[in-house]
Amino acid sequence: MIFAAGAVSGGFGALLGIGGGVLLVPFLNLVLHLPFTVAAAISLTTVIATSSSVSAARTGKQLINMRLGMLLEVATAGGSLFGGVTAQLLAQSTVQKIFGVVTAIVAVIMLTRLQRRNVILDPTIDPGVLGGRYHEEESGGTVTYRVKRLPLALVASFVAGNMSSLLGIGGGFIKVPVLNAWCGIPVRAAAATSAFMIGVTATAGAVIYYGIGQLVPALAAAAVLGVQLGSWGGMRFGQRASAKWLKLLMAAVLFAVSAVMFIRGIR
Amino acid sequence: MSRLERTIGLVLRVGVTASTVALAAGLVLEFMSAPGARWLLHAGVLTLLATPVARVTVSIAGYIRERDWTFATLTAIVLVELLASAVAALVFNKRL
Repeated sequence: MIFAAGAVSGGFGALLGIGGGVLLVPFLNLVLHLPFTVAAAISLTTVIATSSSVSAARTGKQLINMRLGMLLEVATAGGSLFGGVTAQLLAQSTVQKIFGVVTAIVAVIMLTRLQRRNVILDPTIDPGVLGGRYHEEESGGTVTYRVKRLPLALVASFVAGNMSSLLGIGGGFIKVPVLNAWCGIPVRAAAATSAFMIGVTATAGAVIYYGIGQLVPALAAAAVLGVQLGSWGGMRFGQRASAKWLKLLMAAVLFAVSAVMFIRGIR
Repeated sequence: MSRLERTIGLVLRVGVTASTVALAAGLVLEFMSAPGARWLLHAGVLTLLATPVARVTVSIAGYIRERDWTFATLTAIVLVELLASAVAALVFNKRL
């Protein structure tokens, strides 16, 4: 059951470029009636596995901006540590309400980004210490970018890290739009760098859950294997599916999840 | 591709493969109620948790080798944060 849930959420995650945690956590918590902390711990374990396997496959393609990633990890790991501690102190109903609000925000972000905006880039730009350049296969050119508004990127990373360990999600949906829209980073580089970072982010949270005994290894194993299979399948299918309809479907599902989670939190 | 990037890719690949194998084997043993299942499952989860920690440690070494002190320091802070979360877990464990 958990294996299947992992496969489905991993598949959707890979299709949409978001972690599957936002679907996996509500399923484990609301359908299988696992305590929220147990559900979040399982989901964080799958986040580490996905981040590591995806980033291993991507190293050397210059899409991951490692320097920027390592710098922002200082903020995400700090946020995650804080979130992991907070998760132990808050009541389950409070965390469910926060989850409801956050998923609604994800759905809104997803709807506003239906028409993905292309950043116009000047190839002569100096990338500086934190910027980067990579070869884009679609256009056949080299994309060069410089990082702007670093403090904003750090704040967004801290918030993403905080939400990650509190809610058991990757947090990429918070960082990627901010890095893309305000910090001058092309969306593909932002997504790859975020995926690289969330392994470390989720570990800071998962270690706390594991140490307390809320991370149940057998359940985590089923979910990890399911997500690995699902994301593999999702990437295969992803090339053919219509991204726009998928995003609309996903936004609708997220709104529903958000509402159910919020109502459960109030009762 | 830089030497550091290659090493990071290798660490991630080895960590994920090892933990996936351990988790899969542990789950199969668990279904057969065979001995050693619990041990394998814990080993798989711990390997998975150790993978990003190893990646950060390797990065510190890489930046020191490149004499990039700024990034060596930043990455060291990340490692300290990861260790702090382990300490936080122990503190909670004592209290609960």
